[in-house]
Amino acid sequence: MQEQFNEVFTKYHEVITWSVYGTAIILMLIGLYAILIKKNLVKIIIGLTILDAGVHLLFVGIGYIQNGTAPIFSPGNENAADRMVDPVPQALVLTAIIIGFAITAVALSLVIRLYKHHNTAKIDQIKSLKW
Amino acid sequence: MVITPIHYIFVPLVAAFAIPLLSKINKELPRIIPGFVMFYNIIISVVLMQQVNEFGYVSEVIAGWKAPWGINLIITPFSGFLVSLISVLGFLIWMYGYRFKKVIDRGELRTYNILQMMMITGAIGIIITGDIFNLFVFLEIVAITAISLTSFYRERDGAEAGFKYLLIGGFASTLILLAILILYTQVGTLNMAEIAERMHTVPAGIKATILILFIVGFGIEAELFPLNGWVPDAYSQAPGPTSTAFAGIVAKAGVYGLIRIIFTLFDVDGAYEFLITAGLITMIIAEAAALKQTNLKRMLAYSSIGQMGLALIAFGIGTKEAVFAAMFLLFNHAIIKSLLFMTGSILMYNSKDKTINSLNGIYKKLPFISILFALGAFAIVGLPPFSGFWSKLYILTAAADKNMIFLIVTILAVSVVEIVYYFRVIGKLYFSEHESEIEIYKPTPQALVAMTVLGITILVVGVYPDLVSGYFHNAADILLDKASYIRFVLNAESAIQ
Repeated sequence: MQEQFNEVFTKYHEVITWSVYGTAIILMLIGLYAILIKKNLVKIIIGLTILDAGVHLLFVGIGYIQNGTAPIFSPGNENAADRMVDPVPQALVLTAIIIGFAITAVALSLVIRLYKHHNTAKIDQIKSLKW
Repeated sequence: MVITPIHYIFVPLVAAFAIPLLSKINKELPRIIPGFVMFYNIIISVVLMQQVNEFGYVSEVIAGWKAPWGINLIITPFSGFLVSLISVLGFLIWMYGYRFKKVIDRGELRTYNILQMMMITGAIGIIITGDIFNLFVFLEIVAITAISLTSFYRERDGAEAGFKYLLIGGFASTLILLAILILYTQVGTLNMAEIAERMHTVPAGIKATILILFIVGFGIEAELFPLNGWVPDAYSQAPGPTSTAFAGIVAKAGVYGLIRIIFTLFDVDGAYEFLITAGLITMIIAEAAALKQTNLKRMLAYSSIGQMGLALIAFGIGTKEAVFAAMFLLFNHAIIKSLLFMTGSILMYNSKDKTINSLNGIYKKLPFISILFALGAFAIVGLPPFSGFWSKLYILTAAADKNMIFLIVTILAVSVVEIVYYFRVIGKLYFSEHESEIEIYKPTPQALVAMTVLGITILVVGVYPDLVSGYFHNAADILLDKASYIRFVLNAESAIQ
């Protein structure tokens, strides 16, 4: 019974791991599509944030360990070094999220300025600067 | 108080947070404080350069976590040279921008001063950090401040230029993040020295993927073709002092990032050939585009891209002589292009419709500025006895040593193009009749001092190149000696507390 349970449990974790990676890659592709194809400035920014979200998800995914514990040596967890999740990617992803937030904020403020200036949010109608 | 590398980052950050509060006390303070910060940067540079000359490297461990685990700041002779250059330029740019007329007209002095200071801090951070994720954070600080400064003026097309920069920059930063992620899964560390040490365990295909992602990411700041679409727009729309900082400071940081990644982290076959090819394409396209520009600042921006391409070519040749020449070129480009942007902004401000054609005979009204501009133009195309001559000469001899005839021919041909478009401007300045009767805005005394200092530096280095070249030789040797960098970072007991 216990063995069966462990087997199912392992399978379940594998599925989770791969679905995290898969979701991350799908998100990145969606973001890339929006940046390249969409004409509306706001949609492009949404694409940028989706792309960011994909990379962040990938970050969290690689730090994941099946049946892991928090990376703290506490009573009852003295010898758990090999079961601890890697804390570095999580620290990195927090920083990356904040940076992404700052970029998005700047981008949206620029869109407001562009909209006031040109009275449109279509990227192909804003072309006063050229080579 | 002992001066350590962290002061480069700590002091401007504290000042940036203090400026909004202090501006309530006195309206002048937001303008004056960055000057003190920049001056303090110069003091730090002087102290640290003495230590570098004595010990070879200066390293600082942050928060007591030793090198592979914590973040470390490291100053090598190469990065020390760039940081000192940026500190001095930062101070001169502050002098130039102090009471810069258009910035005052726009209001928002606090915003401008904080952003300008943080952009320079970010560039310094890129250069002194020894941790790859920290590098990414500083790159983002530079990008966000640069985007905001690009769209600083409301009446121009700054927002459009800023948005272009943001799209390219935001996308590229995601790629760098991805590259760091893949690198971390392969080597399990973020410290650059330790990454370099473990790099040989990474499979070649993954190595190439990471390298391409990094090159795309840093190529935007280093103005690499085709990632430099933002450059001419941002340079021409940003305030004068900011475009000076773009050319003199931000571009240097981008090139440093690229060089550190390729020289220290990745020793891949083909990376050097890639640098040469990318540099060549960048240089040729940029100089050709500069030829047809009608706006002076756009022309200078394309010329700046071209010079960065030349620097990448020199780094790509890869011999000690070539790396030495590339450093000399970076130094020259920083002082000469800063002078050109400073004088060019003033000339543009006084022209009727911001085109080169409307500069007709303006030398009668602004004789000193015109002479300084001409000096800069002569120096950057590489005429003797100005400093630009030596860097070009050393690059050509380094290429000749490796029998790269095609490179020599191309560089010389491109120089001719440079001469054509710079001399067209000088011809307009001096040999046309002055017709427009607009009111002339004279530069402030501080701006004149800043420009004169740069002009004198160009002349002095041009006549006595040995003043700086000995140091560059040493720095080039150590940049190519990757093993000593790794050894130093990983064995450094927290050397300076």
